[in-house]
Amino acid sequence: MGKWRRTVQIIVLSAVVIIGGYAIGMTLFASDEGAPPKVGGQPPSFALADLEGNVHQLSDYEGQALVINFWGTFCPPCVKEMPEFERQYEKWKDEGLTILAINLSEDTLTVNNFVRRFELNYPILRDMSRKTERKYGLRSYPTTFFVKPDGTIMEIKVGGMTEQEIDERISRLLQH
Amino acid sequence: MPLVENTKCECGHQNAVGTVLCEHCGKPLQAQELQSNEPLEMRYDGVARRSQKVNPNWIDRVWNFFSSVKIAIYLIILTFLSAMLGTVYPQENSFVNVTDFAKYYEENYGALGLIYYRLGLSHTYESWWFIGLLVMIGTSLVICSLDRVLPLYRALNKQQIRKHLQFILRQKTVYKGMISGDTEDWSKQFGDALKKKGYRVHRDGTALLAEKNRFSRWGPYINHIGLILFLLAILARSLPGFQMDEYITIADGDTVQIEGTNYFVKNEKFTIEFYKDEELPDKLKGTARAKLFETKAVLYECTLNCNDPLKEPVLEELKTHDIIVNAPLKYKDLKLFQYDFNLTPRLNAVHPVIINKETGETFGPFDLPMKDSALKHEVGPYTLELIENYMEFSIDANGDPVSLSRDPNAPAFVFHVRGPGLAENGEPYIYFPMQKDKEIFQQDRLNGKLASKLEISVNGMDNVNFSEASTYLNVRMDKALKYVWIGAFFSMLGLLMGSYWQHRRIWIRIDEGELSLGSHTNKNWYGMRSDVAWALAKAGITVDPKSLDNGGNKA
Amino acid sequence: MNLVDFSSDAFIAAFFLYCFAFGFYVIAIFGKKFSNRDPIKHQKRWGRVAFIVSSAGLAAHLTFFFTRWAGSGQIPTSNMYEFMTFLGMAIMIAFTIIYAIYRKPALGMFALPLTVIIVAYASVFPQEVQPLIPALNSIWLKVHVTTAALGEAFFAVAFAAGLMYLLRVVDFNDKSKAARRSQFWIEFTLYTIIILIGFIIAVFAFRGAGYEAQFNQEHIIIDNKGVESTKVETVDYTLPPIFMPYNSQTVSMDSFLGMQEPLLEAPSWMNGVNAGRKLNTVVWSIIAGTLLYGLLRLVFRKPLGAVIHPALDGIDPDDLDEISYRAVAIGFPIFTLGALIFAMIWAEIAWGRFWGWDPKEVWALITWLFYSAYLHFRLSRGWQGLRSSWLAVIGFVIVLFTLVGVNLIIAGLHSYAGV
Repeated sequence: MGKWRRTVQIIVLSAVVIIGGYAIGMTLFASDEGAPPKVGGQPPSFALADLEGNVHQLSDYEGQALVINFWGTFCPPCVKEMPEFERQYEKWKDEGLTILAINLSEDTLTVNNFVRRFELNYPILRDMSRKTERKYGLRSYPTTFFVKPDGTIMEIKVGGMTEQEIDERISRLLQH
Repeated sequence: MPLVENTKCECGHQNAVGTVLCEHCGKPLQAQELQSNEPLEMRYDGVARRSQKVNPNWIDRVWNFFSSVKIAIYLIILTFLSAMLGTVYPQENSFVNVTDFAKYYEENYGALGLIYYRLGLSHTYESWWFIGLLVMIGTSLVICSLDRVLPLYRALNKQQIRKHLQFILRQKTVYKGMISGDTEDWSKQFGDALKKKGYRVHRDGTALLAEKNRFSRWGPYINHIGLILFLLAILARSLPGFQMDEYITIADGDTVQIEGTNYFVKNEKFTIEFYKDEELPDKLKGTARAKLFETKAVLYECTLNCNDPLKEPVLEELKTHDIIVNAPLKYKDLKLFQYDFNLTPRLNAVHPVIINKETGETFGPFDLPMKDSALKHEVGPYTLELIENYMEFSIDANGDPVSLSRDPNAPAFVFHVRGPGLAENGEPYIYFPMQKDKEIFQQDRLNGKLASKLEISVNGMDNVNFSEASTYLNVRMDKALKYVWIGAFFSMLGLLMGSYWQHRRIWIRIDEGELSLGSHTNKNWYGMRSDVAWALAKAGITVDPKSLDNGGNKA
Repeated sequence: MNLVDFSSDAFIAAFFLYCFAFGFYVIAIFGKKFSNRDPIKHQKRWGRVAFIVSSAGLAAHLTFFFTRWAGSGQIPTSNMYEFMTFLGMAIMIAFTIIYAIYRKPALGMFALPLTVIIVAYASVFPQEVQPLIPALNSIWLKVHVTTAALGEAFFAVAFAAGLMYLLRVVDFNDKSKAARRSQFWIEFTLYTIIILIGFIIAVFAFRGAGYEAQFNQEHIIIDNKGVESTKVETVDYTLPPIFMPYNSQTVSMDSFLGMQEPLLEAPSWMNGVNAGRKLNTVVWSIIAGTLLYGLLRLVFRKPLGAVIHPALDGIDPDDLDEISYRAVAIGFPIFTLGALIFAMIWAEIAWGRFWGWDPKEVWALITWLFYSAYLHFRLSRGWQGLRSSWLAVIGFVIVLFTLVGVNLIIAGLHSYAGV
């Protein structure tokens, strides 16, 4: 090796540091691509249609405080929450709150029949083939995501909420 | 120790500092080596290995650390000891549905289990320190090899034929004796015998160097290169886009999108075949032992409307394949493996007929899928308007109808029926496709008078469309895989080269009728001695191979 | 007579031929002291006889293998019984190769019993041909299992040579601390081998007597709808229950030595029916083995190592070291190819991932790393000879754990039925 020795040593040791650092770093800060969203993380994107056939994307609501609620007609606590959400929506909408209710891939008639029973003014979106619920890592229903205007998740609430619980969270959400 | 060490040998050759044996003639250079009678240090033929030089700075220190075989052995031992620890309890990645691992380990394996989890041993092979060990082994592989392969090449490339007497007589296999008769002749005879054994013979007067299988010395280095490539390929898999490992569930007849791609997979049919009792030994008779299970799968690519929530994706068929456990569907870098299955049937659609009970006429059949049915069905003289549907019908605490789930376990449809003999504005009729529900919920009683005027029913299983099973497929893509195999191949090649052939060299010189013979090999001294004894015998000198042994440790 | 039945006969023939070959090797080595003839000639003659008989045994064993294959339509390497018998056969092949190079009859005196023990151990497991499940139905089954076994067979021969080195070199008269430590560990190794023999004897003895006991264990399972159901798991014991499974009920039990009920219950952390059975089997093996060992000590009145030591007197320990090393050097590439490379290829084809850190895979890697360390140790002075021999012994223990321990103790993708 002779006079190249020092150069070779430096090259090899640098490569070790870079590659080794990458390898060990991967274990410590495991990439969460495809892993379900966590508090502090970002909600996965989606593009879903509402009951009128308009497509809503997550990016449409950039910069706004957002409540994303996953619900189904077969889920009694979900059903109980809907009118509560409506009242909350009326209360807070002027302060920049949006509520999106994503249905868990039920068919059109079921969803329409259900919504007709209530007067709901916030968008009802239809998930297809359980894609979005899988992306969001849902395990049970209802699950509600509270998203801050900066785009990060403030809280993931699994299970039904009373109106007071919803109210308390939204007011916290809007303080951000 | 003088400031500048004199390393110029007796024969005139200038050797690098730290050289043990002169590169040109082989005479031991260091004072102690000169005095001793022990067999010579023949590593790299005594050429200096730079790591052992004076005054290392920190780069040298790190380099020397990784260049040491002792450290490499420690790393190997640490690695397998920690790998053993990882097998004490099942690792985290062997559980599918667990979210709270601390609780799981404690509940199932007690306090020890909890400690195991807290120490990080429940994901040993993904932990930072285990990966760190592998990184260090990789570094050691690179540096050990670099440090040794170059001196080795230098030592073997220019070899002198006539070696110093000390060099020859202090090898580990030695013979000394008198040659009667013509020494040139004898030397030639000896050389020819060795040629028959495959040696390459070089001469210098009566001195001779016979060498065989030098290529096997490169074996370990090729092996190490292979291992380095293997490790790098494994690391590359964590780069984005290099790997995919997902599971999809597809019921018979369904088409499902592979998340994150534009590929869709259709399960045309899943079949399973069990061993018949006569094929099974007595102990296993009566058990369901799977013989073969396969999915007739079709792979599509979406060309239009792929992620549009309003429109159906346009699919182009790419490949069909019957996926069985040892034969996945392969398309470009993508592979679909048969992973598991579920034999729960799912009702997809029924094709009922409408029977006018008063006239006995039958109309239909019409298509009634469980999900997304048409809202209006015109069947003969009847018009059915679908008002409500329930996937799993039940009555809640208030007496209202609800659906318990979104899977068609107990489907129910409420129609508004118009037709002969019925009110002009239509009458409500509730229909349960499944017989069990008809009975449990007393369909006829619910429909009251209407039940005696008409009946909606399904004639035979031909008019029922259901998925018999769901298949679970494992979707994988691994761009780094071919490098893994290339690395493994070179590693194997190097192992074979290094283990199954040995590098052998024999030096002789004849000084005034006295034969001095020394030979060296990197392994298998038994065979070396046997070769030397054989060649000596062919040249007229009979010796017992054992007697050629000159002592010292053998590798 | 169908081929599978014939194969069983060939197998029995092989077993007896191996036993006879062992006997002849013993005569070759020990007999030379008593013989009137020249000891070297004696050893050579009987050594040749022994080698012919052992080769005949190998031929019979190969017959068993191929006729069973032909008769059942699948290669006989897919359950514990078939695999272990194949390993025994592979050890004989490795021994034959090494013997052909080095011609040391004493090696036969150790390699043959090793084979016999492995074959006897294999016979403990269910022998019927079991049809292959889909995952095993591949050409790679043939290639991976046979190559790995052959590599391991060479490690077994290295173990035998290493053990011989230790017995040759350790001075049983030396009372110094270092010597006593060596004597202890050699004796311990021999004791462990006797435990294995004890296991085999215990199983066959009770099986011959037709002993049976059965236990039930109830599990309450709550499915994801919240519905409770009870599942009953049954386990059959073929050895008298010293330990019954944790939290189980006796269904039936043959009495043994006046014992009508199980003596003890397995601890709560061994919470399966099979865990209890295995604990019971292990305890019985230790009891039987210890009794056998005690008996042998009584008969010989000195440590077993000291008994065998004289057999190795005429052998140059360096040769044994060489044989042991050479066996590892030959076996390591074969093992790498079979147990790692073919295994990875097959795993990729069948399961879509060439490595999954499954316990069996990990232990194969551990074995590989261990022998890799062995080879690297030999590069440095001071590690040849005694230390090398210990490494060869320990290495084979690791191999056995990979083959047997992982299957029986740790669950995973590679699980087999047991006793």
